[in-house]
Amino acid sequence: MSIRRETAGGEPGLEGALAERGLVVRVEGRMGLAVLVANEAMVARLGDADVRRAALALAREHGFSHVAIELRADAPGIGDARPKGV
Amino acid sequence: MDSANPVSGATATDKEIALAQWLRDRSRVVVGYSGGVDSAYLAVMAFRTLGRDNTLAVIGRSASYPMAQWATARQVAESFGITVVEVTTDELNDPNYAANPANRCYFCKTELWSRLAPLARSRGFATIADGTNADDLADYRPGAQAAREHGVTSPLADFGFSKADIRERSRVLGLPTWSQPSSPCLSSRLPYGTTVTPQRLKQVEDAEHALRSLGITQDMRVRYHDDLARVELSGAELDQWIEPRNLTRLQQAVASAGFSRVTLDLRGFRSGSLNVLHGVTAA
Repeated sequence: MSIRRETAGGEPGLEGALAERGLVVRVEGRMGLAVLVANEAMVARLGDADVRRAALALAREHGFSHVAIELRADAPGIGDARPKGV
Repeated sequence: MDSANPVSGATATDKEIALAQWLRDRSRVVVGYSGGVDSAYLAVMAFRTLGRDNTLAVIGRSASYPMAQWATARQVAESFGITVVEVTTDELNDPNYAANPANRCYFCKTELWSRLAPLARSRGFATIADGTNADDLADYRPGAQAAREHGVTSPLADFGFSKADIRERSRVLGLPTWSQPSSPCLSSRLPYGTTVTPQRLKQVEDAEHALRSLGITQDMRVRYHDDLARVELSGAELDQWIEPRNLTRLQQAVASAGFSRVTLDLRGFRSGSLNVLHGVTAA
């Protein structure tokens, strides 16, 4: 049995990769979990299973085993979900 | 396991026949009983094979055992006439358990079996069995070590019953649990290293109850990440609830349990999800 404990640290890379595919979100990393903070339009896009699969694949490439979309309508950064540094 | 082990190429019916023979060979059996799909099937099989006087289902109750699960357990046992005894377990007061290490289940099961074994002996039962199935063996299950240390057997796993086998035979036998979602203890929603407290378990239980109240019926988990809840839904229900018009209801239901942030997992439900998140493997 083993436990991996590193922080993925791939937030900027994942944000950029998602943005290239039209998913403009802010990524908050919590160990292997990537929390996507997005506006309503971006959340709606994730209703498409193919878009979700693509997002999951990109997250894996950037070191995240789990991806979740934040549901709070008033989440910090909502409406200003541009990737950091873009 | 006995020479009658039918695992290779066996149908669920073949396995059930072998299980019944195994039960007959033991005459009297105590079943560690949660009311979940697996232990309910095993308890009913023991009851049908050995009769009321030779079957005892024992429920271990604590804050990590969901109330809804307890209600199901009692209902199933009552409907079949199975005798049930409840023991209170105190694993949350064990610092080894409360610290929530990756082998947390070992300490929980040690507590359960150390209370259950003397009870079984005092009632003249030599065999204690649990509902571990063959699929469980693929995941990291430190509780199995505690079972072995206390002489607890896992006939469903030994005879190669998959979860699908158990559901199929449960349906044939008329168990209401045949289509019930799997239901591990509430502590499984907390990442390893996050202290297990009654308050946190209640928060998860309340959130999952709220989601069930919305009509979510399939496998589902609310994973606890401090202030943030991560909801895992199964297949079709994920497709349904990720629709924008439904997300607000989902968010409100989970937030009502005290989570300030609510998220929906994009991959959806997966058993042992937190093992994956923490890189814990069975190897």
